[in-house]
Amino acid sequence: MIDPITIILITLGGVFIGVGVHFIPVGGAPAAMAQATGVGTGTVQLAAGAGLTGLISAGFMYNHLAISGVFTTSDSIMVMASGAIGAMIMISVTMFVGQLIYVYGVGVPPVSAKVKKDPITGDVQDIYVSKGTEGHGVPTVSFVSGVIGALLGGIGGSMIYIQLMEIVGDPTNSGAVALAGIFATGVFYVNSVLASYNIGGTIEGFHDPKFKRVPKAIVSCLIASLLCAIIAVPIMGGVI
Amino acid sequence: MSAAAGGSAGGGLNPNQVIILGAVGGLAGIYLTMLNQAMDTTIFSFLGGIGAIFAAVWGSDAVRRVCSYGLGTGVPSIGMLALGMGIVASMFGLTLPEVAGIPTVAGPIVAFIVAAIIGLIIGVMSNKILMMNIPIMEKSMIEIAGAGALVMIGLSTAIAGSFDIVAIMPAVVETGFIALVFIGGAMTILHPFNACLGPDEKQDRTLSVAVEKGALIMALAGFASLAVEGMDGISGALTTILGLVIWVVYFKKFMKQTHRDSYLIAGTGLLPSEEELE
Repeated sequence: MIDPITIILITLGGVFIGVGVHFIPVGGAPAAMAQATGVGTGTVQLAAGAGLTGLISAGFMYNHLAISGVFTTSDSIMVMASGAIGAMIMISVTMFVGQLIYVYGVGVPPVSAKVKKDPITGDVQDIYVSKGTEGHGVPTVSFVSGVIGALLGGIGGSMIYIQLMEIVGDPTNSGAVALAGIFATGVFYVNSVLASYNIGGTIEGFHDPKFKRVPKAIVSCLIASLLCAIIAVPIMGGVI
Repeated sequence: MSAAAGGSAGGGLNPNQVIILGAVGGLAGIYLTMLNQAMDTTIFSFLGGIGAIFAAVWGSDAVRRVCSYGLGTGVPSIGMLALGMGIVASMFGLTLPEVAGIPTVAGPIVAFIVAAIIGLIIGVMSNKILMMNIPIMEKSMIEIAGAGALVMIGLSTAIAGSFDIVAIMPAVVETGFIALVFIGGAMTILHPFNACLGPDEKQDRTLSVAVEKGALIMALAGFASLAVEGMDGISGALTTILGLVIWVVYFKKFMKQTHRDSYLIAGTGLLPSEEELE
């Protein structure tokens, strides 16, 4: 009844989510006052917002492809791509609109305080940081990093959803859809909170020194997701 | 008394009293809905909602104790973690009797134990791997996950009239009310401390918010159960009305406690009109 490959893939999905969270520029409360680089809200809210949007677009694609009765490996890549793009659009829109407010509303230049030069554009950063702050807005490197994070999160979430749906193998069963969706959400929250505990507040993206903590998040997300997968798989198989 | 980052939180009720209140009250509320099956009615469904309120009080007290140490990521994260663990554990617990062929009665207890185990593992990982170094992390995570599972099962039972997965699947999961239970349940656990935190945080005020939030979600669960086949309208209406009554009582209590704890209450009057400003 319990297929080890399904469990491994669900666990891998959880790890993707945990790593993805580290890429997202989270500024928290300081960023809400334009005193730190990133979007002004918590890790969980940002990751979950992007992840759930990804889950919706993945669910739409899954339903579209699986309704024919055959679901191949290339189909699952399509579903993961759809989930990833949904999450990427969500995070890009959030960062872009936040950026407009930082630049035209608050009146600060987007700048990182963790690096002297933007690793992507090469623009000088340190002279634009306002005194007493840790940067503000979403500089190019953080924007790119955020999009990569959403890509990983979207892939991870869709991977979990596909595996859970494939246990039942019936996209018309609304009970299965709801259960797989809510389980994927539950695993998503557990992993994004663990990752945010690892970050401990704010992170600017992959150029931030805190990004070096990723291995610890991988270990803990691996254990937590494995636990959730072992529990989730028998339920999906048993209840429907 | 408590709650700036870096110290343990005190308060009128000690942690063990709240644990007993939450675990016993929560499980009792859920199990008393079995009166429905015993008497062939659905009128006792509201007891599930009452159980959820007890569990929410426990959960938010645990959140307040652990968050007093300062998590660095904001209070909501721990509430979402609780319900993330809670939903996986409660669905497993409720389904296991059906899959393994043990009596349905075991469901909520199994869910509770599984939630506690997941909570323990995540708590240990937070301290040992992620190096959060919060002395009560393991214990609090067990409590928060357990309370999360009880809130979920309590609210689902209030909607479906029974904690049997055969009833919960069509009534709560297939209708999508599970999303309401998930986010609403998370709110009851994460919101009270998030709303009241600060150097002047008092246990009774925070827990009043927990009861008030739980009652509000209970009223919504009553509304939801109106759409469920096999639940009569009176049971749903009873859940809603009781929820609203508890909400009014505890919201008034919360307002009174807020006034008690505030330094000064001054009426500012209405905003001046344009002519008065000139």
